[in-house]
Amino acid sequence: MTKNILAVAFLAVAFASCSNDDDNTPAEPIQTETVSNLYAPQTGGQGEAVGGEFAKFDFETGAITTSDTDWDLAFRGTTIAINGGAETGTADEPVRNGDAGVAIVTGTLASITTADGLSFNQDADAAFAIPTGSDNGWYNYAGPPSHVITPIPGKIFVIRTTEGNYAKVEIISYYENAPAEPDAFADATPYFTFNYVYNPNIGETSFE
Amino acid sequence: MRFQLTTCLLLIGSYFTIAQTRVENPTDSILAQQLDEVIVTATRTERQLSSLPLPVTLVGKKQIIKSGSVRLNEILNEQTGIITVADESGFQGVQIQGIASDYILILIDGVPLVGRSAGNFDLSRLTVGNIKQIEVVKGPSSSLYGSEALGGVINIITEKPKTEALTGNASYRIGSFSQQDINLDVKQAFKKFRYGFFANRFSSNGYDLNEDVEGNTVNPFTNYTLNGRLYYDFKDNLSLFASGRFYDQNQDAGFTLDSIQYQGDTKEQEWNAHTRLDHKWTPNLTMAYELYYTNYIATELLADPISTAILSDSDFNQKLFRPEVRGSYTFSSENNTETTGFQNGTLTAGIGLQLDELDRTYFDKTVNFSSQYAYAQYDFDPIENLNVIAGARFDNHSEYNNQFSPKLALRYQLNDNLSIKGSIGYGFKAPDFRQLYFDFTNSAVGYTILGYNVALDKLKELEEQDQILNVVVTEDDLSKPLGAESSIGYNLGFNLKHGRGNTEVNFFRNDFKNLIDTRIIARKTNGQNVFSYVNFDEIYTTGFEINSAYKLSNDLNISAGYQLLYAFDKQKKQDIKDNQVFVRDPNNGQTIALSQTDYFGLVNRSRHNANFKIYYDIPTAKTNLNIRLLYRSKYAQFDTNGNGLIDNYDSSFIDDFVTVNAAASKTFYNNFTLQVGANNLLDYTDNNIPTMPGIQGYLKLNYQF
Repeated sequence: MTKNILAVAFLAVAFASCSNDDDNTPAEPIQTETVSNLYAPQTGGQGEAVGGEFAKFDFETGAITTSDTDWDLAFRGTTIAINGGAETGTADEPVRNGDAGVAIVTGTLASITTADGLSFNQDADAAFAIPTGSDNGWYNYAGPPSHVITPIPGKIFVIRTTEGNYAKVEIISYYENAPAEPDAFADATPYFTFNYVYNPNIGETSFE
Repeated sequence: MRFQLTTCLLLIGSYFTIAQTRVENPTDSILAQQLDEVIVTATRTERQLSSLPLPVTLVGKKQIIKSGSVRLNEILNEQTGIITVADESGFQGVQIQGIASDYILILIDGVPLVGRSAGNFDLSRLTVGNIKQIEVVKGPSSSLYGSEALGGVINIITEKPKTEALTGNASYRIGSFSQQDINLDVKQAFKKFRYGFFANRFSSNGYDLNEDVEGNTVNPFTNYTLNGRLYYDFKDNLSLFASGRFYDQNQDAGFTLDSIQYQGDTKEQEWNAHTRLDHKWTPNLTMAYELYYTNYIATELLADPISTAILSDSDFNQKLFRPEVRGSYTFSSENNTETTGFQNGTLTAGIGLQLDELDRTYFDKTVNFSSQYAYAQYDFDPIENLNVIAGARFDNHSEYNNQFSPKLALRYQLNDNLSIKGSIGYGFKAPDFRQLYFDFTNSAVGYTILGYNVALDKLKELEEQDQILNVVVTEDDLSKPLGAESSIGYNLGFNLKHGRGNTEVNFFRNDFKNLIDTRIIARKTNGQNVFSYVNFDEIYTTGFEINSAYKLSNDLNISAGYQLLYAFDKQKKQDIKDNQVFVRDPNNGQTIALSQTDYFGLVNRSRHNANFKIYYDIPTAKTNLNIRLLYRSKYAQFDTNGNGLIDNYDSSFIDDFVTVNAAASKTFYNNFTLQVGANNLLDYTDNNIPTMPGIQGYLKLNYQF
């Protein structure tokens, strides 16, 4: 992580020094962050109707928000909504009033260098842009005996935010404090831990 | 009274005569001399084991008795390349050449047994008390046996009475965990009439591997096996065989969940009725007319004794009826001097009808399958020292595509000591009832599994109930019939006699396609999925097996066996090559593309399996001592890191382990045998192998009459 920050800082300095001459609004450095233990409970489940407020996240501030408009991703249980497109029809979901989108890419977080050329999907009636279910969207459910939910390694979500910025996200864990080998019976859920890289310069697709 | 006394005296008299003339064979060699044994499974005709062009494992009665095995799984697990293992469903089955239990056919006297749990046939259902021998043919045998015979066929052969005197044995065995095994076996043969009766009671108090988890690992159970067999010779060339078998098991199924002590039982019952008329029309033509019926019933009822709330109530009732007619004709030239050439061979052919029926919980109604089949096989020596068996079978089935299963096998005797053999065959497994008719919704989690044939209708029902968010497959996807799973198996090996020893080597490869797995077909409004079955997986298993037996002296036999196995999913292998599979390194949290060398292969497969056995007879003391070492290298039980396959980063590996079994028996007063033994002498246990308790000692007394 330290290495990453140094690299980013170095790139940022290098970039800044190049563009200083012809641009009077210097580019902001790319942000590499980790969000830990984003708590996203849901009610119901286990055969009952699912409900409860989504926990919304805004890349611009890098924090959870209660705003009805300034959010990009929203979490509830294993479901992830994006602020773009239309409501899916599930109970208590937030209104989609932005134009955010997501492209699901296979690779490591570092290997995705740009959002150029990707096609972005949005939530729609009866369909989340990040599909729900095991081995389908972002996680695998192991079933008995371990019952562990594991983020599928190599699934990277490239996000176009409501403000028109780009971010790339890798979900690390669904369990509190992101244990390396979670115990579905002992470790608490749903606590999202994810790494992301965010380009704060509007419209810039590069992550380098 | 006088008559009875006379009869008694006569019986006793003849008994002594027999006892005195009985040839003692204390130097029985079970390992090195097997090659002269005759087996029937590979060709459906009697064939000398050593002359067969197919890989076969034969386990004889003496080996079973000396090893102190009581259930079929125990003795088979000691054979090279045959492994018993529990899959992710928790049920135990047998694996041959890396092929799972779903694809291995189990027969008794040539007729199939039914009743599987999640595809696994539980071999511990079968007692070995009245077995003459166990024949295992490895590789696809669908050319003779049809569905399920992809990985191999296990055929249990019962003993035919031979002597006019009443013979048999009664035994009692007690072991750890209050395990008790009681056997009574009686046989007698008159001029035209023979009969055999067998009864077994087996019980255990169960055991607990993990004190931290409430309840037992294995609950107490008791089971009974009864088998009666009749043989009647109408004429020299016409004889009848009839066998009835009954199995009944009751196991305590009580357990504690959320501090409620649920009580109940799991019951299993099995009936088999098998009759066969053997007719020798001419010295060259024999025919068999066979009728077979079997019924397997399993029920479970679990309830809270206080509130009487029912936790689980399931039924499973499967029936199979199978008439078959088969014949064997040996072509021979007029002067009988020539035995080679295409014109001098044995043609074996049969036709049959199979009716299957299953009624179970989570099925709307009783479902029926029917199939008709015909097979033919020609066994001949085109030139001296070369044996060829070519055969094929055609199955016409009510629920899936017709299957044509050919097979070709060759064996060439290079010299007195060396022979090579090779075979190629096709195997298939029909989609089972569950894959076609299941209708199950998990009440705790809320997901639904639908059998392929009912998926469309059930989906519509769920849609009408507003339970479906969206359907992710097209109607077209669910309209084409589900295909049979199939494989092509290749075996190539040689047999080498060297002095007092014998070594067999066999290389194998099995390519599977159309394997049936579940996939998501729709999403539910409760956030869960609807699953159904689809043909998509392609896997292969490959490796080799080597068995070496050496007769150090007349009384000392040693043997060693080893199997190397690679078992992979072809698609996943390609995905890894294409850098599409990733893994999160648990040490530094970095995600990296999985390297090809880190793909471990399919679940429950060990790369290495080995065994080493010593059987030692001391004829002067009428004693036999033996020790058997079994080694299994590490294997993984399930994916733990979310990438959908087993790689070296997964944490569900069971480390390699050795089990040691030993037994000693001594015969005294001619008729009594006392056996002392222990399985798993090293006391190896793992909480993740619930089917293996620690060290199990036992003491057995057998009376032979």
